[in-house]
Amino acid sequence: MNKQINIDAANESDCVETSKLSNDQEIDLDILLELGSIGAGHAATSLSDVIQQPVSIDVPKIHNLKAHMIPKFYNKHDVPTIGVNLQLMESNGCDILLMFELSEAKKIAAMMAMLSSIEELDPSTETSAINELANILIGSFLTAISDFIGITLLPTTPQSAVDTFDALLDSFLIKQSLLSESTLIFETRFKRQGEDAKCILMIFPSPELKEQLTQKSRVLFDV
Amino acid sequence: MPSLPPDYAYKNAWFNTPNRKPNNTLFAYQQLEQTSCLTTNAEKNPKLEEVRVEMADMKVESRPVELITSVGSCVAICLHDSISKCGGLAHIMLPNSANALQEPLPFKFANTAVPALAKAIRGISRKNAPLSAKIAGGANMFANLGTNHLDIGAKNIKAVKAALVEQKIRLAGEDVGGVYGRRVTFNVASGIASVKCFNGEVKKL
Repeated sequence: MNKQINIDAANESDCVETSKLSNDQEIDLDILLELGSIGAGHAATSLSDVIQQPVSIDVPKIHNLKAHMIPKFYNKHDVPTIGVNLQLMESNGCDILLMFELSEAKKIAAMMAMLSSIEELDPSTETSAINELANILIGSFLTAISDFIGITLLPTTPQSAVDTFDALLDSFLIKQSLLSESTLIFETRFKRQGEDAKCILMIFPSPELKEQLTQKSRVLFDV
Repeated sequence: MPSLPPDYAYKNAWFNTPNRKPNNTLFAYQQLEQTSCLTTNAEKNPKLEEVRVEMADMKVESRPVELITSVGSCVAICLHDSISKCGGLAHIMLPNSANALQEPLPFKFANTAVPALAKAIRGISRKNAPLSAKIAGGANMFANLGTNHLDIGAKNIKAVKAALVEQKIRLAGEDVGGVYGRRVTFNVASGIASVKCFNGEVKKL
């Protein structure tokens, strides 16, 4: 199991350090990370099926940061980004956010629409292709988790917006900062062959969902 | 006067009183003033230093720099003291500190950020300096996030305006609401906030 918590932001005093977490909480994070890794593997497989290219994933990470630290942490302030948002039904406050850099999104959308170049792509095709991709990716992610621990996780319909990275992220951070003191982000980066990681999947689990997942998995993993 | 518009000297000159008729000497002086303004603009305004303001943070500057930040549902509050030519920018997240989790972060909340920012600017200029405010942000990025109960952008705007009224600060310009994010660039020396939307549209406040 690969665990990486706050490795980039270890020096930031505002971050919740791992040493401050109790043993139980650490086990909870481990469980979430393990579940996420299973989901991310499935999502990468389906992404690679759709675009007919090998897709690799970075080792999934869990960040436990204060909400206002997150834009600084990613440091992608004005990068044009397309963000697709899905929420989990029956779990208030759990957001799933899939972020593509705009240039990458155009390439992927052109591939999905079987077009030879990006110039042929019109905006509505691009949006619907990206929404569809998010549906497939997040659907397979959630199905993997659901199968594994036996909870039904259903996403709402996707909704996308194109803007700068910070602007897309801040409405979610506001919502999360209302719910809890520190924000837990589960993050996976997808890479196409020979490219940088330009697609980030972020999940903000709500406290109830986290509770539910860990309860079930504790029984399953026998911890 | 490096960054004033060309006709500024004419409009605001001491001789420009209603009773006074312009004569040739004055006209020549105005001409001179205008051209000198234009040349100094080009020479003295290369690229200003950019200082980024992070979320739930603020920066106050008396140097001629540009404060930049990117906002979606958050609101950027720019306060400017036109006499001392200093100003500050705060990037707030939430409307009210009372019903949120208690944190020692005054610049996260509209109702605490406005007094704190005004105090910080008056600390480096002078006490009771008149300030003017420009605000931008408060968008609703994803429609299904804000339909029923949580249109946080609109709440933020309302709270910022209320806090400005309470502090007796004049609201000189605003670009709020909508469904798009904004990149705010606040020129501390001139007090001009330029708001760049994602579609490339630039508004000067």
